[in-house]
Amino acid sequence: MGKMRATLTALALTFSISHASAEVIKIGMIANFSGPFAVWGQQFRQSMEAFQKVNGKSIDGNEVQLIFRDNGGADPAKARQLAEELILREKINFLTGFDLTPSALAVADLITEAKMPTVIFNAATSVITRKSPYFVRTSQTVQQYVEPLPEWAVKEAGIKTSYTLVSDYAPGHDAEEIFVKKFEQAGGKMLGKDRIPLNVTDFAPYVERAAATGTASIYIFIPAGAPSISLVREFAKRGLKAKGVKLLAGGETQEVYLPSIGDDVIGTISSLHYTETNTNPENIALRKTLVEMFGPDATPDIGTVGAWDGMRLIYDGIKQFGPKITGDQFMGFVKGRKWNSPRGPIMIDPEERDIIQQIYMRRVEKRDGKLVNIDFFTTGMIKDPWKVANPNAK
Amino acid sequence: MLIFTILLDGIAYGMVLFLISVGLTVTMGLMRVVNLAHGSFAMLGGYLSSVMIRNYGVPFIWSTLAAALVCGLIGGLAELTIYRPLYRKGDLAQVLLTFGMIFVSIAAMTLLFGPTPVAESMPKWLEGQIDLGFRTYPAYRLFLIGVGTLLAIVLYFIIERSLFGARLRAAVDDPGMARALGINVNLLFTLTFIGGCALAGFGGAIGAGILPIEPFYALKYLVLFLVVVVIGGLGSFRGSLAAALAVGILDTAGKYLVPQLGSFLLWFIVFGLLLWRPNGLLPPKSAT
Repeated sequence: MGKMRATLTALALTFSISHASAEVIKIGMIANFSGPFAVWGQQFRQSMEAFQKVNGKSIDGNEVQLIFRDNGGADPAKARQLAEELILREKINFLTGFDLTPSALAVADLITEAKMPTVIFNAATSVITRKSPYFVRTSQTVQQYVEPLPEWAVKEAGIKTSYTLVSDYAPGHDAEEIFVKKFEQAGGKMLGKDRIPLNVTDFAPYVERAAATGTASIYIFIPAGAPSISLVREFAKRGLKAKGVKLLAGGETQEVYLPSIGDDVIGTISSLHYTETNTNPENIALRKTLVEMFGPDATPDIGTVGAWDGMRLIYDGIKQFGPKITGDQFMGFVKGRKWNSPRGPIMIDPEERDIIQQIYMRRVEKRDGKLVNIDFFTTGMIKDPWKVANPNAK
Repeated sequence: MLIFTILLDGIAYGMVLFLISVGLTVTMGLMRVVNLAHGSFAMLGGYLSSVMIRNYGVPFIWSTLAAALVCGLIGGLAELTIYRPLYRKGDLAQVLLTFGMIFVSIAAMTLLFGPTPVAESMPKWLEGQIDLGFRTYPAYRLFLIGVGTLLAIVLYFIIERSLFGARLRAAVDDPGMARALGINVNLLFTLTFIGGCALAGFGGAIGAGILPIEPFYALKYLVLFLVVVVIGGLGSFRGSLAAALAVGILDTAGKYLVPQLGSFLLWFIVFGLLLWRPNGLLPPKSAT
């Protein structure tokens, strides 16, 4: 009996000692897990869990905990409240996530006050990173990935005319602005610009309007998911492809949405910062782990790589500064940092804390019975064009 | 030329709205139950049909019919267990409960099928275009127009020409008098509810090419379905057909001719139609 007690005491001591020396690092993540944008939460979470499977759930013996919070729709006030709760009650070390711009903007003052390093996994409005010195973005900005497309269309593909169909909200306006500007600069002619309300469910009239002008191409920007699927289907089902009209897109033709559109989407050209079929070792590891953990249908998208690279940045920061890394140390650490992402080489802009990356021109093809995007052209490293054009705007 | 394109697009869109909304208008008119969860049955139909096609290789037509059947049965069960106690509880209780059911169905579908829209499962024969002489037109939309017309005719005979339909219309117009005449209104309710849910499931499955199936379907298109019901007149079968086609055609024409009006357009149409006919285009006698 006495011997057993001694053993237990020793055991308890060992545990408490090892416990005392190891820190727990908490990463809070705010995104939509329910509601119309729930796909983001799922992709972020799967990516973070897959990252931990590959890179371990602890760093030098310090446990890394993930804490997820559901934004529950486009609700900036709730995002702020969740961020407060994570910072004050959960005592997180890093704040991450943010699928939608309004939620990211809503926490800007808060994270500045709390000196909370905040990694944006998606929200793509250019100005966000200027709203707090504690923001860093590992995803993309809209203008960054749209910029190369119009020039390629005119100069490489010989497309002389175009028509834009964009959703009537801020990212859609951003995309329309840069597309029209670059298309006309390259010598192309715009035949029309339509803005589609976000609540539209039947896109036939818009596609017909564009087609009636005899345009050689239609550029679309519309939230990926049900709306983009309806719009691309409408284009495909009307036989415009057979008439030689080119569809130019961005995030709408990500691999994860292709099965919902069907074979008619083959041949669609898009520009984006991540191609799911690329053969970077990081990308192969990412895809393999996703399938192992979440089944054969698990497909990475831009949310997945945004979260993966955000985790990489945080893990590397902790490795260098230890588990007690401060917000200021981390923000200093990220500036100018370069690494190999599943998408390819990327770096963090030392001035803007925003991502600088290559953009890939891709074409939808069928490989081994599966609809996928195949790269055919890669740009140089591109900085967010809006920030270049507006050096002082806040 | 232009007018034909607008008409075709508008009618095809209107037919999808009609297929899904007609069940709602009859149940709301007959039972006075504000069944906001109607869209959940349409969504369920879409999911069922897609699972049958992709996992079990069931042909498209059969899968939509089977989805309608299953939705009808589930609807019947729900009528007996969930809706019946609600009939006397008043509008607020009905709205709260059926709205809650929407969230339950959204969460359930997200859990079962994930948040992304389901994969395209249209058969090959619906994918191409058909030459109409003045232009080529997507086969799928022509198919929708055909199916919608066929179903409207069938429903016309059931509701306007059969004994069942006569009883149903009597119960809509004056439930008290219908009961006094010995009509089994309870049984009529259950049968109608089964029919309404089956139609919703069928509409969801067959209209998936225009309204993609995803967990948020039940809430996202709810307003559209309610607009059709309100413009048509509560409980009016002919009204819902007229309203669905009016909304489809006017909305399409507006988007085509004046896209600058954007999202206001649909509401201008609703506003104008309701100012003109506050009880709906073709209201049943009880409402006039």
